Order: sequence, then C-alpha cells, then structure tokens
Amino acid sequence: MANYYDIDDVLAEEEILPAVFQQAADGVGLLDSSDDTNKVGAGSKVELPFWLARDLHLRGVVSIDVPPYFKKISRTRKEIGADAAHVDLRSRCQYFYELGLKIAPLVGDKTIGPFLLVAFQTRYKEVLVKAHTAASAVAPKHLTLLTNEETKLYEAGQSSTAAFKKWRMGGPRLQKATVLGRKRKPIE
Amino acid sequence: MYGKKGSELVKELASSEPGQLSAFNNDLFSQVIEECTGHLLHLGPLIRKIEELKKVEERRKINKQELEESDKMALKANNSGALIHHLSLLRNKRCLMAYVYNRAEIIQSLGWTLERVLPEEIEEKLSSSEKEYFKNHGATLQSYMSELDIDLAVDMVPPKDPYIKVRVLDDIGNVVLSDQSANLARHAILFLRRTDAEQYISQGLMEELTS
Repeated sequence: MANYYDIDDVLAEEEILPAVFQQAADGVGLLDSSDDTNKVGAGSKVELPFWLARDLHLRGVVSIDVPPYFKKISRTRKEIGADAAHVDLRSRCQYFYELGLKIAPLVGDKTIGPFLLVAFQTRYKEVLVKAHTAASAVAPKHLTLLTNEETKLYEAGQSSTAAFKKWRMGGPRLQKATVLGRKRKPIE
Repeated sequence: MYGKKGSELVKELASSEPGQLSAFNNDLFSQVIEECTGHLLHLGPLIRKIEELKKVEERRKINKQELEESDKMALKANNSGALIHHLSLLRNKRCLMAYVYNRAEIIQSLGWTLERVLPEEIEEKLSSSEKEYFKNHGATLQSYMSELDIDLAVDMVPPKDPYIKVRVLDDIGNVVLSDQSANLARHAILFLRRTDAEQYISQGLMEELTS
C-alpha cells in the first residue's frame, strides 16, 4: 500500500466510478438525492469515489464498473492503439495509471494491465525526448495531454538536463532557501 | 458528496508549488471536521438500530427461530449505511492528516534553511500549532547541534573553497564575522568566509557571485 500521507494517492482515490448497489443502505440520503427517504435502494445506480467504492465492493454492498476509458471496447483503447503519444489522457483521468493499477484487481479484467503498460511505454519515450530537447521557457502544448505521473517525469527530465548544464558551465552553488520564493527585491 | 471537502483540501496542497507554503486553510479545515461530526451523528442511530436488531436475533435464536425477512433486510441496510459513514470518516481523517503532515514536512525543512528567523510573509501563513511546531523543532535542532558542538546547517553543499565572493542585497549593517568585522551595506561586493556567508545567502540577503 502506498504511503498513507501521499497526496497523489489520496487524490487518485477520489476518482469517480459508476457503481450499482446490490443491497439497500440506510441513513445515506446524500448519495442519491432523487428521493428524500434518506436511503439508497438495491439496484440504484450511483457514482462513487474510488475510496468508497473499493471497500463497499469488497464487502459485496455494491458492484463497480470500470470508467468508460478502461472499457474493453472504447475509444480510448482504440486511440492508444493507434498513436498513444498524442492521446489526451489528462482530460480522461489525471491519475490514469494509478487508478488503473488499483482497479484492475477489483474487476478482474486481465486486459487492463497490458493496456496500461503499452500506453505508458509508448508515451514515456515521447515524454523523455521532449523533456530533454524542448526549450524550458515556454510551456509546451503537449503538456496538457499528460497525466499527473507523466508531468512529473517530464519535469524530472527537464531538471536533470538543467542540472547537467549547470554542472558543465559552473554557477553559484549556494542558493536562497526555496521557500522564500523566487522574487528578488526591486533594486531602487 | 461525501469526502469532497477533504479532497479539496488535499488538492489545494497538490496545486501549490513544491516546497512552498500557502496559507493554512482554516475555513475548509474546520468544514471537513464539521462533516466528520455529521457522519458521527448519522452513525450513532444506525449502530443503535443494528444493536437492537441483533438483540432480537439473539432472542429468536434461543427459540430456534430466524429473523423475519424484513428485519434481515433492515439489518443489512443498516449495516451498509453504517459502513458508508465509517468509511467516510476514515477518508476525511486521511485527508486531514495528509494536509497537516505534508505541511509539517515543509516546516521542518524551514528549520534547516532559515534557522530561527521566520520571515513575516511565511509566519502569517502558519496556524498557531504550526508556529509552535516550528519553534520546538528549531529548538531541538539547536540543542542537538550545541550538544555535538557542530553547526550542521553549514556546508549543505560540499564546499570547494573556504572563501567566496558575494554581493550584499540588503543593508545588514556592521557585523562581526568569524575572522573580521565587516560593514555589510547594500550592493557591497565582499570576499567572505563561506561559513559566514551561507546563512545570509539562504535568507536571501546575499547572493554568491561566480567569476
């Protein structure tokens, strides 16, 4: 299990999944606002965040379905198969891989794992090449296509290039504490 | 939606630049705690109902009878309702803990780079317990260093040369350094002992010059 305090892990578990209640549940009116009986009946379809859906699923209270982009026959899979590097995964799910890893053992769909692997491998190459070559000043357009994990890889690639350059050219080694911000006082 | 506020809190943390502190979100923080209280209020009656039904079940067991079908359903429904509230509580707790923990990590690193001087613009971003934490953490570090008789905050980057060239960015005034007493006026360019300069640089009062 990932670190309890890990921000990304907390946020990845917030992703919404479609789920169907197998049993009724009392005293939880907020989930299904369509009636005021303060309960959810068996068979009602709701959208649950992953952290709630997982435990309810394991106890047989709800059955979960994968989000549309993990479905066996979906546009996302076709697009990844065609040209993985230019698929906009960010708009589908910022935590595409993390969620995929968590959801695969729950739904027993064996094709999700290989699908994620193929997607990551092809996209990773592209990300790395771009991180090492792109001029750092402009925020490139393709950054908006990347998931959270990929953005981190991109930034790591860029900072290692920058560190390499700095090492070759030499530069100030002591620096202001980063927490104070980058602003310099205006020179009067 | 359940747990929404908690995730908002964590999202705020994630969207701030790494290593930078944003103001402690007292408002949202207390809202999440309120939500927890709400869950607890829902949880109480559900647990009581479950217990009542269990008692009925016990009594019936003695007579070798089973619960009526409607009671069985009610027990299950109450169980899953209680479970949802319980999970929401755990989730909210995790969000709150993650928020506080990750901020505390940044505050700890402040203790290394800024020593005891906390600039105003950072201080106002901390909650009162975080200020306390910073103070105590700094004091612990100081006492450890004085016990060892080494200043551990110095030479965070391995030194190449005992002396470095620096430019003073702000009027600091006359300061007695380890080997000389110098007038650190703004824009002055000096050749200082690295160990003396390091603390000023990390506070943003000087910058290192390289030829």
